Amino acid sequence: MIELSTAAKDVILAFADDEHMIGSRHANWIGLGPFLEEDLAFCSIAQDELGHALALYDLIVPSSEIDRFALLRDPSQYRSCTLAELECATWDLALVRHWLYDTAEELRWKNLLQSTVPGLADLAAQALRDEAFHTSHAEMFMTRMHRDESARLKVEAALAVLLPAAGSVWSPTDTEAEAVAEGVIAASSETLSQQWVDTVTTDLERFGLAGNTGVTLGDRTIRSQGFESFHTSLGEVISLDTAAIW
Amino acid sequence: MNTYEVFLKKPGKDEFRHAGSMQAADADMATVLARDSYCRRGEGEHLWLIDRDHIVAVDPDVLATTVDLAHRTNDGSAVAARRKRLREEAS
Repeated sequence: MIELSTAAKDVILAFADDEHMIGSRHANWIGLGPFLEEDLAFCSIAQDELGHALALYDLIVPSSEIDRFALLRDPSQYRSCTLAELECATWDLALVRHWLYDTAEELRWKNLLQSTVPGLADLAAQALRDEAFHTSHAEMFMTRMHRDESARLKVEAALAVLLPAAGSVWSPTDTEAEAVAEGVIAASSETLSQQWVDTVTTDLERFGLAGNTGVTLGDRTIRSQGFESFHTSLGEVISLDTAAIW
Repeated sequence: MNTYEVFLKKPGKDEFRHAGSMQAADADMATVLARDSYCRRGEGEHLWLIDRDHIVAVDPDVLATTVDLAHRTNDGSAVAARRKRLREEAS
């Protein structure tokens, strides 16, 4: 494993935890998607996100320890954002979160395309291939929601719930300024968040949907409501036998 | 929802083969969702989606009229019998 600066590790950990949480939350829809074909597509997206998380953890944790690191840390040690952690118990919430998160995720990978961290730029290029599908998938649904009044109202209600939390994805790590100076990331979270607000605002207009965009940052050291039970459920299998090698 | 018949072509000289069917609200949605229904792990290089409503299906009764047409079946037995008879006559 390569030696990385604290700033680099912090950026990678925050992104990896986001990907882990969103992938796991999406995966809760396995078998419950609105129809079979969408169930398959959405769960593939979940699998892609978990794959990204694994690849990112692999840069900062020895391979043999990734499972334990990903699943058995104390909740206070996670650095995921509220948007990724939230439970989206209805399909409209899950869809809107998927769109908001992947719009941000694409910007975050692009921000790593020139990263000085060995291997990270290649990983970003590969992940962006997945993201092209994820964003087109989200857009495919979002562009259709204004056509049906009940669908539009549901999605707008979901936007009202999620937009205030969505900016949390741009909560910077404590050492972000160093990460920018070291070339780990090209631009700051703040710069990216402005691009994201522009994109989301333009898209909502294009989709014919109403929603108030803006960014309210969160704190990556604080877990959101419901995290503990979610975390326990993620660790259910590995906790059966913590000494076992999977 | 519309039903689409899915045809997948592997790399190389193989022809398009029927892979199954899927549902989607329209063709654009079908093109997004087909990938994960039928080609998650590089199973194909080209994919056709055909709206089932656009398929022209032939009445099975029409096809039933082609069963039991012995004169359309040449298994070579008549020619073999004739050759055998001519051989025996010549010897």
